[in-house]
Amino acid sequence: MQQLLALVPALPLLAAVLLMLAATRIGTNGVRILGVGSVALSALLACRIAVAQIGAGWAVQPFDVTLWHWMRIGDFAPDVTLHLDGLSLVMMLVITVIGFLIHLYASAYLDGDPGYARFFACMNLFVAAMLTLVLANDLLLLYVGWEGVGLCSYLLIGFWYDDPANGRAARKAFIVTRVGDTALISGLFLLATSFGTLSIPSLMQHATTSWPIGTAMPTLAAFLLLGGALGKSAQLPLQTWLVDAMAGPTPVSALIHAATMVTAGVYLIARTHVLFALAPDALLVTGLIGAATLLLSGASALVQTDIKRVLAYSTISQIGYMFLALGVGAWDAAIFHLVTHAFFKALLFLAAGAVILRMHHEQDITRMGGLRTAMPGVFVVFAIGSASLAALPLVTAGFYSKEAILGGAWDSGPSGRLLWCAGVVGAFLTALYIFRLLFIVFLGEQHRHPHGVTGWRIGVPLGVLAILAVVGGGLQTPALLGGIAIMPGILGGVFGSASHEGALALLPLVLASLVPLAGIALAWRWYGGGLASRFETQFTGLLLRGWDFDRAYDRMIVQPLMWLVRVNHHDIVDSFYEGLGKLAQRTHAGLSLSENGRVRWYAGWLAAGSVAALAIAVLS
Amino acid sequence: MNPFGVVALLPLLVLSAGTVVVMTGIAIRRSNFLAALTTGAVMVAALLALLPAARVVPMRVAPLFLIDGYFVFAAALVLLSALAVLLLSYGYVSAIRSSPADEYYLLLLVATLGAVAMLASDHFVTFFLGLETLSVALLGLIAYSRHRPDATEAAMKYLVLAGTSSAFLLFGIALLYADQGTLSFSLAAAKASSTQGIGIYRMAASALILTGIGYKLSIVPFHMWAPDVYDGAPAPVGAFVAVVSKLSVFTVLMRYFVAGPGHADHAAFQAIALFAILSMLLGNLLALGQNNLKRLLAYSSIAHLGYLLVAFLAPETFGIEASSYYLAAYAVTTLGAFGVIGLLSDPAAGADCAELESYRGLFWRRPWLAGILTLMLVSLAGIPPTMGFIAKAYVMTAGVGSALTLPLAALVIGSIIGLFYYLRVVVVMAQPVAAGVQARFPRVRASGAITIGALAILVVVLGLQPASLIAPIRLANPRAPSPPMVAASPAAPVSVAGLR
Repeated sequence: MQQLLALVPALPLLAAVLLMLAATRIGTNGVRILGVGSVALSALLACRIAVAQIGAGWAVQPFDVTLWHWMRIGDFAPDVTLHLDGLSLVMMLVITVIGFLIHLYASAYLDGDPGYARFFACMNLFVAAMLTLVLANDLLLLYVGWEGVGLCSYLLIGFWYDDPANGRAARKAFIVTRVGDTALISGLFLLATSFGTLSIPSLMQHATTSWPIGTAMPTLAAFLLLGGALGKSAQLPLQTWLVDAMAGPTPVSALIHAATMVTAGVYLIARTHVLFALAPDALLVTGLIGAATLLLSGASALVQTDIKRVLAYSTISQIGYMFLALGVGAWDAAIFHLVTHAFFKALLFLAAGAVILRMHHEQDITRMGGLRTAMPGVFVVFAIGSASLAALPLVTAGFYSKEAILGGAWDSGPSGRLLWCAGVVGAFLTALYIFRLLFIVFLGEQHRHPHGVTGWRIGVPLGVLAILAVVGGGLQTPALLGGIAIMPGILGGVFGSASHEGALALLPLVLASLVPLAGIALAWRWYGGGLASRFETQFTGLLLRGWDFDRAYDRMIVQPLMWLVRVNHHDIVDSFYEGLGKLAQRTHAGLSLSENGRVRWYAGWLAAGSVAALAIAVLS
Repeated sequence: MNPFGVVALLPLLVLSAGTVVVMTGIAIRRSNFLAALTTGAVMVAALLALLPAARVVPMRVAPLFLIDGYFVFAAALVLLSALAVLLLSYGYVSAIRSSPADEYYLLLLVATLGAVAMLASDHFVTFFLGLETLSVALLGLIAYSRHRPDATEAAMKYLVLAGTSSAFLLFGIALLYADQGTLSFSLAAAKASSTQGIGIYRMAASALILTGIGYKLSIVPFHMWAPDVYDGAPAPVGAFVAVVSKLSVFTVLMRYFVAGPGHADHAAFQAIALFAILSMLLGNLLALGQNNLKRLLAYSSIAHLGYLLVAFLAPETFGIEASSYYLAAYAVTTLGAFGVIGLLSDPAAGADCAELESYRGLFWRRPWLAGILTLMLVSLAGIPPTMGFIAKAYVMTAGVGSALTLPLAALVIGSIIGLFYYLRVVVVMAQPVAAGVQARFPRVRASGAITIGALAILVVVLGLQPASLIAPIRLANPRAPSPPMVAASPAAPVSVAGLR
């Protein structure tokens, strides 16, 4: 069973290669079977492995599978080893199961698109790369997966490359995440040169034994890894790419930009949490960034009019919660929220996709409304997803994971209380913006009629995800509410069983439960009757543009750079490199003269070389 | 010679006997297919004969041959490369003219015999005889496309310059004999370690021997012939010159300078370092604006030999392993690149398909061949996940361990320049073709297609899992202790007396 682990990422990879090579020969049905089937198989395998490895008390038996030794150069010997423990098991299940549902959905969503095969090739490649990322035992292999998902994200955001705007969005995503990736690879270099290995378990062991808490080295390393995580997970200040990334097809937004890839940063920090625990400063910054991100993007989500942009801001905001949890050391709460978020955000995106599809690719919510009657099924699942996102008390998965985070924050000292406050305000905003979206789209009077019906390949994933968005909370509940501990059991082997359950006071729990209700109530009051123009002020414009981060970056970074580029175009910096090229070409031209085809000239060189060798021999 | 000696020498014996068999076969019945089949069978038999030979290593056979792990590794590499060349040639040579091309296969086999003999040399006589067997056979191979003036010219140039370089080499050997009184590497090494200091005779001898070897390796400043010969020769022969000939000569270089009597010769190492730096810089610069793919590969092979010499200069820090891996990577990649050129060329035409312009739009017209050529070029440039990347990383790490600052700087600069001209070919292949000016490509020949397919798989698999190649390479160390001279009486070596 353990040897089969390698098949989980290998199957989608194989399918991706086949799809790239044989796209035109196997027909649409072939593409569908290959593209969806490979992920289905790997989901089944993942479940089978999970059943085999989970033992008493939900504890996971960890194991390694070494596929091959990559190379041995000196002491540096990175292996291609897959590591399965509770954390990677959870991630693997999320990626394959939700990945399968989204692939199934996409097989209907993309029907008739000329790039059908290309789409599934990229999606399968993405699943393979993401699985490599979470199963890697070695930071080098993790980095391979990390770059792989970045590449697929780029390819899929720009999937409809006929529109230059999509290409721009793809480039923006690639370049902005590259800033983070550069930090990450620098962190890898730092760790590799410090300890001579990149294997995660031995790195963590070396770090605890030779780096005291709070010293410069672990702090620097943690900050560099954090930089990578911020880029990939679209957190402040590298969050700007994710909203533009909505240019990709909706299943891509659901899989890559909601459920899996953007949470890779959370995974990275959770995976290297031992290192972060040695760097309290980095942890504090992680928490603060999380809090700031969740508030700022939650506020931005309030005023967006594009259905996917609301969800994109919401994703940034929810990942902010996960970073907040990481910042207070509540690792398992962060992963728990990652899982439930994957459920309900994938559901919301897919439901939004169903709406968009039936509204002739209309994404502007001001032109929607009253869809409740035309699409009752989608309305129900969208409402479930919204409730889960808003953390409606007791009945939704989002409630339990958000409580775990807020509980963790409450328990972790004075700075934690501050973060708790931010989290509660964020919860209010969350409920407000998502129910605003729900009411505007589905209630009120109908502006346009949707066409067609929603097929089973779209309906089934929605239904399954809706169920998960409700019962997913049963993975972990507070002591007050039954104290189910599946998630802590699974993750216990990774994070230790440090629990913050006991101290959880009733007051914050109740307070945090009531806040979403207040948000929903306000949303009902303002938007219950459909769209009304609410605070359309200067401030709204600012929120609409995402706090003007793009404009600020444009002013602060892009335009000065462009100015420098303009000034320097004929200047010394450029001419240096051009000169190098010219020098190389001149030398080439000069040297080429020596190849004149004359044998006596060639023989002369032979003699000259011999003389040179003799001279060195005699003179030295 | 004891029975174990026969076993150890079996690969060479098989090759020699096979030459006779092929010749006899030609006398009985002239057939393209039959000759190719026999030649291939002989090569495979020689490869299989390496297995029993590997059991009895290290073994000295007469004073002339040293059969050790290094021989087994290098011979396997040479024989496999020769087999690949054979498969790439089949179909190519048969299309040149109507009469069977069986003498081509005979020449190929003789050249391989010379190369393998050289690998086992522990004595200058073996080395020189192997070298000349290889050179003379190569001459016929290079000129094989008689209808092309370029081929004849290339062969003539090769003949004249090979003769000149051999003269240097022989002079060097003579000087060495005058100084040491022996032509055996092992005896000379024993003598060199017992005497202090190096006389002027030996220094001059090293310089002259270096000239002879440098010519065959085509390192700067002995490189001038390479582009003309590569360009004129048929593409599969070009691959043979670039791979088998250089591989075997480099092995001797290792045997003489790293494992043998030359290791104390610091002046020779300095000269080699200088030549390596020049090769890396000039080789890459010469390739920069090249519009002929065969000439481009010639220049790039000059540069690659320079990279290889960096590993050679760092024998203390696993440079030997690195050079072995580099040789394998170089062999696979170069064979693949020349293989694609051969498959695109019409042997009956006036020249091979080597002009860059005829590769425009290849990705649409021959996507698989273009893909494989891209893979080979990427490997030559040293980009993961190919063998070329691992090889270059290996060589660099070895060089860093031995603090070879200047050669490493040249390696880095050379690699940057290299990236430009390798990728330029890929860019041209991806550009659209102007309508109506498409060059006509011949039908792809099955034997060649299978060969380059296998090479492409090797480039990726051994790039992702290099450990499977590095493990056998570690066993192949030319410095491993070799058995003492059995036949040598302490007073006067019999062999030397006999050879006087």
